Amino acid sequence: MKGIILAFLGSFCPALLFNIEKNKLIWAGICGATGWTVYNSIYSYSGNKIYAAFIASVVISLISEIMAKLLKTPATVFNVPSLFPIVPGVSAYYTILYIIENDLTAAAYKGIETLGIAGAIAFGIILVSTIFRYINTRKRRKAI
Amino acid sequence: MDVKEVLDIAMLSGEILLTNGSETYRVEETIERICSAYDIESECFVVPTGIFLSGCSKNDTKDSISLVKRIKERTINLHKIEMINSFSRSLKDRRISYDEAMKFLKGLDSAPSFPYYKSLLAAGVTSFAYAMLFGSSAINGIVAAFISILIYYAEDKITVINLLPFFSEFIWSFITGILAVFINKYILPINIDSVIIGSIIVLFPGIAITNGIRDALYGDILSSQVRLAEALYTVTAIGAGVGISLLLMKYWM
Repeated sequence: MKGIILAFLGSFCPALLFNIEKNKLIWAGICGATGWTVYNSIYSYSGNKIYAAFIASVVISLISEIMAKLLKTPATVFNVPSLFPIVPGVSAYYTILYIIENDLTAAAYKGIETLGIAGAIAFGIILVSTIFRYINTRKRRKAI
Repeated sequence: MDVKEVLDIAMLSGEILLTNGSETYRVEETIERICSAYDIESECFVVPTGIFLSGCSKNDTKDSISLVKRIKERTINLHKIEMINSFSRSLKDRRISYDEAMKFLKGLDSAPSFPYYKSLLAAGVTSFAYAMLFGSSAINGIVAAFISILIYYAEDKITVINLLPFFSEFIWSFITGILAVFINKYILPINIDSVIIGSIIVLFPGIAITNGIRDALYGDILSSQVRLAEALYTVTAIGAGVGISLLLMKYWM
């Protein structure tokens, strides 16, 4: 529960820093909290960070694309702040720390984990936005 | 309205979009939408560092005009992107005059944004949340919030450092690291790892990465590479800054 509130704050405040309209801030926060909850539950269930990040990224992108349709704004508005909690900041930090401690094996391990999470997040966004883009172009063709 | 005026409006809209962190395809779409609303045939090519735009009226192709605009600085203000987005869509139903459009676009600079203290507070709360989310106690969160507010304030006031693109991220993350190490050594024992991660997260180039991916998806491979490279350099600069401060800690303490 503590984590959910923190994840909410952690998406709400970056959204404020990016200067998003007031009434949309709360949605960005909810989106981020949902994403983090998904990430955390899958991670504790499977123990695989990369897998968890992928599913969470898919969920976040889905919610933000749907929200973008409903509120008629670019999806980026919700997407970017709500991905903040699952960004592999910790892994990246430990990669640097291990490099400094000259423990290159651990650094390589953490580095690959970082790249894996980043790639999983990216692929999650790609998957969902491709589907939505396909729907959009279908609609446009029908309109013409 | 003649071609030049329409292209001016389109170019200014595109410039505002690009400088405030929009995707490339959105800039191109918006420019084309504005031009076609005024019955102008246009062709534009957008990269993150510039806009190339040429257009002519549909019935007379002789009055073709080309404009080039170099984009130097890029910040993030998603509110402006939303405003331009709805502005360009509204033009289709109701054409407005050149003066009206220019007045609207110029007025965006003074568009309502959050008061400064709220941004400061948001930066602080962000760091607080992340320091705690990555597993540590509230005291670490408060220290992270304090460092983050300090950095955010300094970044805004000391603009000299911000002139150098990647050097600024290096300096700010270095100062963050040093502050965390210093507080840990002389003021109160903290969990340096989570404090640094929490305070650094504000500098992280999240928008550059997501936009880079989205650009690739829309076929703008060039823009995608530019943005991802930008993100990579930024992350490297942050990593180097934190790394050097930790290295200092190792040999100094």
